[in-house]
Amino acid sequence: MEAINTQDIATNDLAWKIEYIPERCTLCGSCVAACTFAAIAFVRVDLPHKKTKLLIRQEPSLAHCCVGCGVCEKLCPSQAIRPIANPHSRQHLLTSCSGPARRGGRSNLQRQRTVDALLVGRISQMTDPSLDAERHTFDIKAPLGRILSPDKLPLQRIGDTLTITGKTPPVRWIYPLLFSDMSIGALSTHAWEAIALAVAYLNEVCHIPVRMSSGEGGMPMKLITSDKLKYMILQIASGHFGWDRIIRTIPHMPCDPAGILIKIGQGAKPGDGGLLPESKVEHHIQHIRGVPKTTLHSPPNHQGLYSIEEAVQKMHLSLHAAFGFRVPVAIKCAASSTSVAVYNNLLRDPYNICGGFFLDGVQGGTGAANTVSLDHTGHPIASTLRDCYRAAVAQGLQGQIPLWVGGGIGMTGQAAADAFKLICLGANGVFIGKLLIQLLGCVGNEYGRCNQCSTGQCPTGICTQDYRLMMRLDIDKGAEAIVNYVLTFDSELRKLMAPVGNSSLPVGRADALISTDAAIAKQLGIQYAC
Amino acid sequence: MRTIHTSTKNQRISTQELLTSIREAVEQGECDFVIEAQGQHDIPGPLWNSQGKALHITVRNPGQRVGAMMLPGTNVLVEGSAPADVGWLNAGGTLIVKGDVGDTAGHCAASGTIYIGGRAGARSGSLMKHDPLYKAPELWILKHTGSFSFEFFSGGYAVVCGCDCEQGSVLGDRPCVGMVGGVVYVRGSVGDIPQDLALLPLDHNDQAFLNEGLDRFLRAVDEKHRAPLLKDWEVWHKIVPAPKQELVRPSVAQYRKASWIPGGLFADIVADSGIHAPILGTGLHRLRIPVWENESNTCLDCHKCALTCPRNAIERTQDTTLTYTADPATCIGCGLCQAVCPNHIWRLTDAPPLVEHLPGEKGRCVMDNR
Ligand code: SF4
Ligand code: SF4
Ligand code: SF4
Ligand code: SF4
Ligand code: SF4
Repeated sequence: MEAINTQDIATNDLAWKIEYIPERCTLCGSCVAACTFAAIAFVRVDLPHKKTKLLIRQEPSLAHCCVGCGVCEKLCPSQAIRPIANPHSRQHLLTSCSGPARRGGRSNLQRQRTVDALLVGRISQMTDPSLDAERHTFDIKAPLGRILSPDKLPLQRIGDTLTITGKTPPVRWIYPLLFSDMSIGALSTHAWEAIALAVAYLNEVCHIPVRMSSGEGGMPMKLITSDKLKYMILQIASGHFGWDRIIRTIPHMPCDPAGILIKIGQGAKPGDGGLLPESKVEHHIQHIRGVPKTTLHSPPNHQGLYSIEEAVQKMHLSLHAAFGFRVPVAIKCAASSTSVAVYNNLLRDPYNICGGFFLDGVQGGTGAANTVSLDHTGHPIASTLRDCYRAAVAQGLQGQIPLWVGGGIGMTGQAAADAFKLICLGANGVFIGKLLIQLLGCVGNEYGRCNQCSTGQCPTGICTQDYRLMMRLDIDKGAEAIVNYVLTFDSELRKLMAPVGNSSLPVGRADALISTDAAIAKQLGIQYAC
Repeated sequence: MRTIHTSTKNQRISTQELLTSIREAVEQGECDFVIEAQGQHDIPGPLWNSQGKALHITVRNPGQRVGAMMLPGTNVLVEGSAPADVGWLNAGGTLIVKGDVGDTAGHCAASGTIYIGGRAGARSGSLMKHDPLYKAPELWILKHTGSFSFEFFSGGYAVVCGCDCEQGSVLGDRPCVGMVGGVVYVRGSVGDIPQDLALLPLDHNDQAFLNEGLDRFLRAVDEKHRAPLLKDWEVWHKIVPAPKQELVRPSVAQYRKASWIPGGLFADIVADSGIHAPILGTGLHRLRIPVWENESNTCLDCHKCALTCPRNAIERTQDTTLTYTADPATCIGCGLCQAVCPNHIWRLTDAPPLVEHLPGEKGRCVMDNR
């Protein structure tokens, strides 16, 4: 018999334990064959009298630890196996003995959300009657692009008519729910295509002008050379991956993209750059990004940007010019205690070119990050947003540089409520990422389930470039789920707009909100109720 | 016959005084009234004669809600026009208004008949319903209605004759929103109606109903001369809830076939064009592959592996040498063979990712070829 030492890793040291009921097991083999992490295996145990028995054993190893994805449970015909979270886990501690741990997913420590302490508390009843959510015509659109103040509009009164005498910055009025920033590479081609397909369907069949940000991993040539490009916001991050090919393709673009998004930072891991582990840099990714097979880092900073002014000048001016001054250019930062200062700087915007400030909160997701960044850096979104909005109001500049916020939207499943509350706090729109992959079938959550997006072994085929796994994702079904969710979102948003009596988005209407938490009410400047 | 003047010596009597005096008179057996009103509301309200005799009330210059909440046997005639809410919640009486009426005429009427010899305001006929215990309510309008007419209409009959309305919708803007039951007959043009409703020509039953009803109505409002004009059924329609329609939206799969980028977004760089496969795979789809490694020649030929394999994938052959093989077409890579083999002949190995095997222009991009 093998000697076991106290330092040896046992399954009860791990975050997930497999509960296995041999009496129910038919030895069909499905669970073991399907586990992408090889966390379980068949073993033969010897019994007295030369008898043997076949059992399933969980690997007592960090390299092959169970992640709680539940694929085994899903496949088991006889409910003989399932993962259970282990409250006595020592896994974090043990993993930290072999260098900084990395994973994907989201923060597993910051689960508290301000929006959950807010209620839509001002319901029009006898006064300014509420609207009929089902039958009233609502105008649910948000700007992407620089909105000029009325006095800056190049309008001249000639006789009795107003004439436009100059150019105005490009502005797109789009749906206030933006599909955001998950790169090809971080996502499987199947997952990325499912999301793009849902966007096209929502636009062309449902007439909901949803836009999608490409993420920082370049663009598929077949998309960039099709007229569906108009639904896409091209993202550029510090790594500039795929951008030489995007630039080469400008002459072949049949239409303009919806916008350009400069990514400075990401809410899930502020200060940590983009990361695509080598395991995911398969042939097709090498070709889309224009890179060899290697781990890809985007630096945490854009090299060559040392100040906000420079960011505005270099990135905004150049990208604006590259697309003939016809495409709005916006900027995305991780929410931070310095966000208001950044926004104030942007608001000066002497060139009238900053088409939006995207703020990403701590509950955002990511394909790969250092666990320490994921769990311990970041900033909640609500107060950052509110402060930015109020800073703009104080200068009379609200609405001129649209505010878009994201990070944890829809964490409880109800994105419409989150969106509505954030819009009341001053957002023009919200962006979602993690929610989309959850609709595609991602099983990860804030409680440590799965979060293996960085490993290339995604059990649902979403965050992997391994075609065996990717094929697990049914593109049509995935897109259908997203479409149906957005249609529900749309009706639910109306259900919230109607009682406050707004037929357009109630941007900044914080009077519609109350908080049952006095500190939150005070910080956000809304009514406290109990 | 009792005539009530509501002002004496330039003093207007209150609604309460007026309604109380009517009620007291009815209790004393009076059945006929002429009321010279000065805007008093709710004339006459729910009234009844204890012997069940009909009550006849002629009103001039009423206030709001004339003919509201009438019981069966109550007949109210308004000489001239009336303001909002005529016949509101009518529970069985008959109301005739010779002139125009204000907004929400017939609102929530559930029985009885309302005849309007002029125009009706916005939201007329909204929420009318048919209580199945009683006769269905009717609302007849000689001319046209304001906007939002017949909202949430759920039962009974409304008839809008469209007289003197040669332009625009005789039902105003956005009529019949939320209508779920009943019939709205309309003569003349109608604006857009919600998609869940149908605008149909009249059938024989409709014509019979209108033929008989128009005579009653026109007699009541003294407009008999209009009968020949109104009885041209060609210009009439009825609005009814349409039979529930199935979802017309195409599925995403249909949309992808018809309108998506041919071959998918990545067809230029990988041969896969969005194929879907179940979680459990065989062949190249396996995550792991069993290999029979009998270099040491220690296989006992005991068949245990073949007997244990849940997929019956293991075959034994003996040409020159003994060989056990796992058929890729059925093997799922579970490793039971490895576990059961007493001499560790089977080894479960990691299979290479499928991308290595994909056919087509692996690693070549359309743009590269330019
Ligand atoms: S829960 Fe997932 S990782 Fe754990 S054993 Fe089952 S399939 Fe493997
Ligand atoms: S899937 Fe269930 S029945 Fe089949 S081997 Fe696993 S535990 Fe046993
Ligand atoms: S299912 Fe895939 S995408 Fe979801 S957490 Fe796991 S690895 Fe990440
Ligand atoms: S791996 Fe499983 S399915 Fe394949 S041959 Fe062995 S026992 Fe049979
Ligand atoms: S179980 Fe092992 S020893 Fe027995 S036949 Fe199979 S390979 Fe040979």
